[in-house]
Amino acid sequence: MQVLKDLFRKKPIGGICLIILIAFLLMAVFAGVLAPTPMVNGALPKNLAEGKLAPFQTMAHPLGTDRMGQDLLSYMIYGARTSVILCVCCTLLSTFISLVTGVLSAVVGGWFDLIVQRIVDAVGCIPQMLLLLLLMAMLGNGIPQMIFALSVPSGIGGSRMVRSAAISVKDSGYCRNSDLLGGGVFWKCVMHVVPNIMPLVIISAAGSLGGVVMMEASMNFLGYGVDPGTPSWGALITGAGRDLMFTCPWMCIVPGIAIAVLTFAANMFGDAIRDLLDPRLKGGVGSYNSKKLDKTLAKLEKQAAKRQNAA
Amino acid sequence: MGKYIVKRVLLLIPTIFIICAIVFGLMRMVPGDAVDIIVNRMTQSGQTVDEAAIRARLGLDVPAVQQFFNWMGNVFRGDLGDSFFQYDSVWNIIKRQLPISLELGLITLILANLISIPLGLFCAARQDSIPDYAIRIIAVVLMAIPMFWLATLVLFYPAQWWGYAPPVVYVSFFQDPIANLQMFLVPAIMGALAQAGMQLRTVRTVVLDTMRQDYIRTAYAKGVKQRVILFKHAFRNAMIPVITIIGGSIAALVGGNVILENIFNIPGIGQQLVTALGQRDFPMVQGCVLIMSIFVMIVNLVIDVAYKWIDPRVTLD
Repeated sequence: MQVLKDLFRKKPIGGICLIILIAFLLMAVFAGVLAPTPMVNGALPKNLAEGKLAPFQTMAHPLGTDRMGQDLLSYMIYGARTSVILCVCCTLLSTFISLVTGVLSAVVGGWFDLIVQRIVDAVGCIPQMLLLLLLMAMLGNGIPQMIFALSVPSGIGGSRMVRSAAISVKDSGYCRNSDLLGGGVFWKCVMHVVPNIMPLVIISAAGSLGGVVMMEASMNFLGYGVDPGTPSWGALITGAGRDLMFTCPWMCIVPGIAIAVLTFAANMFGDAIRDLLDPRLKGGVGSYNSKKLDKTLAKLEKQAAKRQNAA
Repeated sequence: MGKYIVKRVLLLIPTIFIICAIVFGLMRMVPGDAVDIIVNRMTQSGQTVDEAAIRARLGLDVPAVQQFFNWMGNVFRGDLGDSFFQYDSVWNIIKRQLPISLELGLITLILANLISIPLGLFCAARQDSIPDYAIRIIAVVLMAIPMFWLATLVLFYPAQWWGYAPPVVYVSFFQDPIANLQMFLVPAIMGALAQAGMQLRTVRTVVLDTMRQDYIRTAYAKGVKQRVILFKHAFRNAMIPVITIIGGSIAALVGGNVILENIFNIPGIGQQLVTALGQRDFPMVQGCVLIMSIFVMIVNLVIDVAYKWIDPRVTLD
């Protein structure tokens, strides 16, 4: 709660972005209610008479329609569902994977650590995009496959950071005491290590929110994405949008802007969370610049002068 | 130092082995294989097909484990095998196309650094001022714009409005530098924008982080000018993490260029890889991923060593 309060007080932009994210979330959950023309049997109704309407021509189709007369706004709202599902599931799953691998690797140590770290190294060396392509080619198209392909490599990659944080916690006094009191590996992980590295984990999870939407769209572009029937912004850009770029430009521009807005909000929110939670960025001596310093000095001098006068 | 490098190079060997295993395993789990495609093509053109013979010819008739060790043995002898669909060895194809990808990556990297480092320093020096906020917001917006979307717009609309399109036929830099740069400049700018946005923010953060150190406070106390502190004390120390980021971005560039190469039809290794993956051309995909991963590994190693060389406080273990 305190974090939320701080978020709106100290980082208003981050707060606004949180509201945008929640709006997207609600849009995804209530897509069936919000969409002007709801889906019938998993597809938007077609209306060839109303084909190729530009945005803002009629109130019935505020964002226009495509060649088949399918309402773009409804498609976008259903597409938000795909993006939000991917965003939430990928972030949760990849955070979970990196937490488990990193903490176990740090706490168990020894041979286990050595072997796990070699695998983490190896996965880290394969460029992410290539690994994604390979995984998607292996698994085929679809949302669950996409979640797996997006979160496993990034989870393994993120475990390195978790491990180094967990090692520093593991060497602290209270963890040694836990050893003496007979605490097992699992007990130590859950009760001591995980709570202590949680801020770091939250920061990295918040930071990775934005990348997921972008990755989904990029993979769609290369032909490996969600099922062809599933509404998705990335599919809209690559499928309808690219062919119709000259005749119906809005088909390409609207989803691009939607992806940009969602990614922007997620990134800014991640930033704000990092600024609030990261102990290294908190106040301290820092944030000098000479102007501020001059101001403080002037203030101090004034106070000193006042005191002298009073005396 | 020498000992450290030897240790790191030796550690590369198991890593390469694991990468080979991952790539090979993933490739063999991909549904469908090249034989199906060849058989399809041949039957369509009315030829009689001996599927077993094709399988044997491609080396796919033995169990996967044996295929893996055959391939591994060849890799350690420096032979990546032959492409299933192109009449050439994988190594020759990579040798032809890797420089193209590297050129694109290099131009992107240079552009990204030219944008991000000066602006990042500026933002750190004027922390929480209006230009700082403006530049940071632009940076996040650049990161948020889908690069492939922007690239498609940039490719299509100028062609429609002004009849301009970047050249699509690849010319080597040594034949015609201007035509070559014309081809690479637009995709490189597209790639550099997102990269620069990310890097700018990191440069700003690390410079600010350095500005909070005790020796900076001492410098202020001595009465050193802010400009001198910024360039002489803060920037040089902040460069250390920045170098790590540049190293990390090389890996991202190698991967991210897959999309740019496909949009702008640049015959680099990324485009090759996507085609090969669609055709289930196993040796080609394995070779491409392996070579790119080794490239990233070497870059990481060089950066770790450079780290020590730049910052004598760093202890190597």
